[in-house]
Amino acid sequence: MNISPLNICLLGVIGLVAAGFYGLLTTRNLIKVVIMLQILVKAAVLGLITAGNISGQLYVTQSMAITVIVADTIVAVIGMAFAIQIRRQVGTLDTNELSSLRG
Amino acid sequence: MAAILVLLTIGLPWIGALLVLLTGNERPKLQHAVASIISVAAGISAVVLLWFTSDQPVLSIPMGSVFGVFTFVPDALGVLLAVIANVVGCLAVIFSIDYMKGNEQLGRYYALVMFFIGAMAGLGISGSLLLMFFFWEITAFCSYALISFDNDDPKAVAAGIKALIITQLGGIGLLVGALIINSYVGSYQISAFLTKAETLPFNVLVLLAFGFLAAAIAKSAQVPLHTWLPDAMEAPTPVSALIHAATMVNAGVYLVARFFPAFEDVPGWTTSVLVVGMISALLGALMALVAADLKRALAYSTISQLGYMFFAVGVGAVFASQFHLLSHAIFKALLFLCAGAVIPAVGTRDMRQMGGLRKTMPFVFTVFVIGSLALVGLPIANGFFSKELILEEGLMHGPMWAYIGMLLGVGLTALYVSRMVFMVFYGESHGEKPIHDGLFWMRVSLTALSIGVFTTWLLAGVLSDLMAQTLPFHGVHAIGTFELAKEIILAPATWISIAVIVLGIGIWILREPLAGIKNLLRPVARIIENGLGFEQLNQGIINGTKNLSAALHLTQTGQLNWNILGIVGMLSALFALLFIGV
Amino acid sequence: MPTIDTLEWAMLETLIYGILVGAAIFSAIQSLRADSLLRSAIWLAGVSVLLSIVFYLLGAYQVAVIELSVGAGLVTVLFVFAISVAGDEGIGERSLVPKPLAWGLVIFSGLLLIYFILPIKAPLSTISKTSLTAVFWEDRGLDLLVQIVLIYSGVLGLVGILAEAKAPLQQSMVDEVAAERERALQEMEQTVVPEVDSPI
Repeated sequence: MNISPLNICLLGVIGLVAAGFYGLLTTRNLIKVVIMLQILVKAAVLGLITAGNISGQLYVTQSMAITVIVADTIVAVIGMAFAIQIRRQVGTLDTNELSSLRG
Repeated sequence: MAAILVLLTIGLPWIGALLVLLTGNERPKLQHAVASIISVAAGISAVVLLWFTSDQPVLSIPMGSVFGVFTFVPDALGVLLAVIANVVGCLAVIFSIDYMKGNEQLGRYYALVMFFIGAMAGLGISGSLLLMFFFWEITAFCSYALISFDNDDPKAVAAGIKALIITQLGGIGLLVGALIINSYVGSYQISAFLTKAETLPFNVLVLLAFGFLAAAIAKSAQVPLHTWLPDAMEAPTPVSALIHAATMVNAGVYLVARFFPAFEDVPGWTTSVLVVGMISALLGALMALVAADLKRALAYSTISQLGYMFFAVGVGAVFASQFHLLSHAIFKALLFLCAGAVIPAVGTRDMRQMGGLRKTMPFVFTVFVIGSLALVGLPIANGFFSKELILEEGLMHGPMWAYIGMLLGVGLTALYVSRMVFMVFYGESHGEKPIHDGLFWMRVSLTALSIGVFTTWLLAGVLSDLMAQTLPFHGVHAIGTFELAKEIILAPATWISIAVIVLGIGIWILREPLAGIKNLLRPVARIIENGLGFEQLNQGIINGTKNLSAALHLTQTGQLNWNILGIVGMLSALFALLFIGV
Repeated sequence: MPTIDTLEWAMLETLIYGILVGAAIFSAIQSLRADSLLRSAIWLAGVSVLLSIVFYLLGAYQVAVIELSVGAGLVTVLFVFAISVAGDEGIGERSLVPKPLAWGLVIFSGLLLIYFILPIKAPLSTISKTSLTAVFWEDRGLDLLVQIVLIYSGVLGLVGILAEAKAPLQQSMVDEVAAERERALQEMEQTVVPEVDSPI
């Protein structure tokens, strides 16, 4: 197999996606869920930059990547704010218990 | 200029909706003022738009390769719809100042009504199918939310869900149609589709034609998908007048008329439209004849009148159908708003508990009779000209049996309108004495609409002229108002139908001697009263949808880990499929 | 003239990428396995730093800088703050999805992805001359607009959520929920083996 830097980057994307998904599948802590989401998004950004390098339109993908990073940071901020509030009001960060709260 | 007007017509009500919400329910007076001033401004901008009609897009917003270009084409067909939405809308809002006085959730009410008005105008003016779908769905949502406005009442909630599910059939049909058209024509533009309709494969065209017809039937409450409309009468009455009589239910007729040139040559399509219209006109009239609830009777009458419009499209008279659409919007809104004045005054919707209101509510009585004249189709009122035009076209271009059916419908209309007027306004009073005879703002909008009843037929010439200019595919001929009026008055069809109307009213007056026949027909009336079995069909659709969602609810555990498992599992399943090479 | 042989340079380059990406994946896995949230967050910062170096090497300088400052800096600070406020417990809870199933699915889809994507024949490209600012401000103005709206709504949301904290906490509701949980726990204790770590 032709091992070039771009192939390694793509392998990295797959590895990070796998790690992120595994984390989301197994974790029940709200903050950890947000951390795993961060890993997934970083994989997506790496994928975007690699794709830009392959197609030679790096600047277009860079601007998209910046959008993704901004969006993702907002998600992290709001997620953390929620976590703090939920911890204060409900007293747990376990997503399983949170989903059984009703009304 | 035209672009700005289009934006104003759609945007002003939406801005108004936001402003009313921001005003807050603590300041009801300000809310009333904001809502009425902005809706009047929107109404004016819509009327001014009549001078800027065009068959070319005046505003194009490119939305990228997937969604195509969102265009606004203010042609006569669309502007007519926008004008009706905005003008009747502003009158309904003005009526609401008195009708909704003291309600604690004015913000929600006005916001939804104005959101609806803007979306309805947009539905007419949009030139892209996808944009049209977008507005179509907003109208469906607003209709649902306003039917269920009184959300403490389980009946209102159930009626809202029913209306939403059934009109969604129309929405889905429109979306699928838009996607199919895009894949064959390569564009979402309606004009592009009308130009290239003949090049489409025959079976696709047939599918589209009947799919759109089904969508129109659901939205316009035609038989057999009509039962949501009477149930929708749980909404506040100005909403019934605006959404369920004057505007949203016209969207189906509009759809059929809009695509008429494309589907005209599909065998059986025009006949189907005609038959749907005729059956709806007849059954609607029959059910209006036995309904005891004033608003439900008016709703059945709406179904019947929409049937006339479908019939007109079926015989190829697009202009006649749009003319009747205009007349119907005015007089039916008038009748509904009268009902909106009567019902709170006497405290019931049951016509059997009314009676004798002629003396205690003289003003409402007068305007109600004006509206009834138009509904029955007696001279000088706008309904006379538009309905006679439809019948004349039916006699000339349609089959004889259909014409006779429609004529029967005319007689039945006269009969049920006489019954309605009599039960509400004549005879002995059976209930409470009314507490008022229409409050000030109610009277303002009722007066405006009754003036409209006598004057809108004068617009026939302008309308036909505009339609001839801006609808290159429909083949409408311009004709002067008085030429048209002369033609209608001199046509034999008119005299026949006037005779039938007189016969209908006569039957009502002579109902005592004819009591024997009436008793004979009692079992039939019972069956009609129960909705002729369509209720079960419609309820079946609703129950099916609900059961499906209940079944699918099991897949929503609400637990993050399992949801992620679903996502990843689906991803790998897709990859596996690709791997196998399906 | 003594220059590095092209082939040798290519191998070296590949090696550098391999080490960086491998380290990033290692960090991600460590972040996944960490038994304290704080460590998890710091490993995440590690992923961010390593990836920003990769971005730089790939020629995406601006993204590299933003990733380093926002991803590794701001977000980490945020996580540390949030964890210090919200506490660190509850991380060892058993997952709902059986672990072998999770493993199987992830590895299965990962392998299929590798099969479909790799290998790419394209070499590392030379960067075109268009400047990012031109693309960013002119060609993709909509993106910029969306970002502004996004940041605005993010700030609004944050203010809304944190402002609520200043309002008096509804102690009655907290008590109610706590009592409910207490009762549920007692019920559980009667039926199953008592849990070692109580959630509160």
